[in-house]
Amino acid sequence: MLGSISRSLEWLLEWVTIFLMVLLTVIVIVAVLFRIAGDSLSWYDEVAAICLSWITYYGAALAALKRRHIGFDSVLLSLPLYPRMLAVIIAEIVVIGFFVIMAWAGLRVLEVLEGDFLVSLTWVPVQFTQSVIPIGAVLFIICELLSFPEYWRMTASGKSLEHAEIEEEVESELKKAGAR
Amino acid sequence: MLILFCFLVLLALICINVPIAVALAVSAIFGLLATEGIDSLVTVALDMYDGSTKFSLIAIPMFVLAGALMNAGGITDRLINFVSALIGFVRGGLAMVNIGVSLFFAEISGSAVADVAALGSILIPQMKKRGYSAPFAAAVTSSSASLAIIIPPSIPMILYATSAGTSVEQLFVAGIVPGLLGAFGLMFVAYMFAVRYNLPVEEAFNTKRLTSTFLDALPAFSLPVIILGGIFGGWVTATEAAGLAVIAALIVGAWYREFNFRHLKRAMLDGGMQTAVVMLLVAASVLMGGFLTRAQVPQQLAQSILELTSNQYVILAILNVFFLIIGFFLHSAAAIILVIPIVIPLIQAANIDPVHFGLVVTLNLAIGQQTPPVASVLITSCAVARANIWEVSKVNVYFVAVLFAVLMLCTYVPAVPMFLVEYFYR
Repeated sequence: MLGSISRSLEWLLEWVTIFLMVLLTVIVIVAVLFRIAGDSLSWYDEVAAICLSWITYYGAALAALKRRHIGFDSVLLSLPLYPRMLAVIIAEIVVIGFFVIMAWAGLRVLEVLEGDFLVSLTWVPVQFTQSVIPIGAVLFIICELLSFPEYWRMTASGKSLEHAEIEEEVESELKKAGAR
Repeated sequence: MLILFCFLVLLALICINVPIAVALAVSAIFGLLATEGIDSLVTVALDMYDGSTKFSLIAIPMFVLAGALMNAGGITDRLINFVSALIGFVRGGLAMVNIGVSLFFAEISGSAVADVAALGSILIPQMKKRGYSAPFAAAVTSSSASLAIIIPPSIPMILYATSAGTSVEQLFVAGIVPGLLGAFGLMFVAYMFAVRYNLPVEEAFNTKRLTSTFLDALPAFSLPVIILGGIFGGWVTATEAAGLAVIAALIVGAWYREFNFRHLKRAMLDGGMQTAVVMLLVAASVLMGGFLTRAQVPQQLAQSILELTSNQYVILAILNVFFLIIGFFLHSAAAIILVIPIVIPLIQAANIDPVHFGLVVTLNLAIGQQTPPVASVLITSCAVARANIWEVSKVNVYFVAVLFAVLMLCTYVPAVPMFLVEYFYR
């Protein structure tokens, strides 16, 4: 059950991230070509920056699902089992607590922004563009919780997620190189 | 006292493996609560949004994507063939090829692990088959991949330029000469090893082979030509060059007929996720930066160091030691985002050129990628070579010494990195 929810969410976030990357790429390329042609696009800076922000938060949720955020696990893994697992619980509470605050603050900001529109595209509400903060925060919490059991298991067995990721990458590249 | 408390919270959270971005934001929240009360928490949403919309950082997903597309587009084999035809005839030729290709290839995609795994998986097994020891093969791969972060395009340089409010184009140009010097230094050390252990030469130099491999690799050279040519010529900004590099990568991949839907999907996904991981750090640093600025921490730090000494070279020596230590424990992106906003007022007060300092910082972090416990490039090379990290480090110390020599040269002879910058921009 948990596994299928996790896979569905991963699929959804992957496609949202890919869509946003394609969109940003197209915007930047079109803007460069227009600028070279001597006709700069007025909305380019604002829209591209919003796109970057959306990639940040939807991609960050995906990275949380795969536990790819930059961290430092050497001290944690060197602790004896019980203090190590206690530290894991404290760390999860801190992460989730932070994103609860971010979601709450994001909703407060959205209330204040009601009636505001973008400067360059005056038909786009700022509430829509900034909705990424509360939505991104909630998605991050869900992804963190879904990936927790695997992280718990790995940490309990004293394995580093970063090293596991490196091993996985190396295995896949060695297979590719062997197939050449 | 409050600052010390926030710093301890940050340190404690990092030690229990809270993602560094979240650890930064949480310690800033403690500071905000203590100084401005609970109402200030709305700032969390505003700063986390503002931090993720920094226009100059759009170059990051574009370069990451261009690199991922290049990885998927079949340039690795062609580059290896070309560099092999160019310098493979020297004793220890495969080590030279490794260094030469790394300069072009590594750090392009922003994920050192992916780049080193891709390149190392082809070259390290070949080196082992030809009689190179596994630790030597891993050390050459690892050190040359790290040197590549000072050669454009470089994600750490983009992050530094944004954090320090300086020109990313000038920083890219400043990296060229030290990068080439470092490459020659690494090749010299590899050659000394090759002579000592009688490592093999590859095929003899052959102009026909060189020409044919060059023509085959020619489309792949469009990436550095677009980036360096466009930026040197002043025709495009770093972000625009990154956008054009994506077009070039797509065309090259299509030309080589090596793209398929799975490759493109993976490239987009890796690009998006790498960007998100770095940008979340940037956003959290805006939250922390706002708090530190209001508390006047960077200014106080600058003042207290300047009271001890105002000598530029002593200040640079202190910062070099600091960055070398921090490189043991932090990834380069995290180190830049955490430290640069704090030390920049000191750099300005001591009249140190921020572009020069940016290069010094990047070189320090290149060395940091070679020093465990946090040394993803070294660890990846060891994993590919199936070599013990300690055995690799014993060989790698000679290559790291070259990186250190380049660092000292660039720190104390600013003309080395800066003369091209002076020529093109000032």
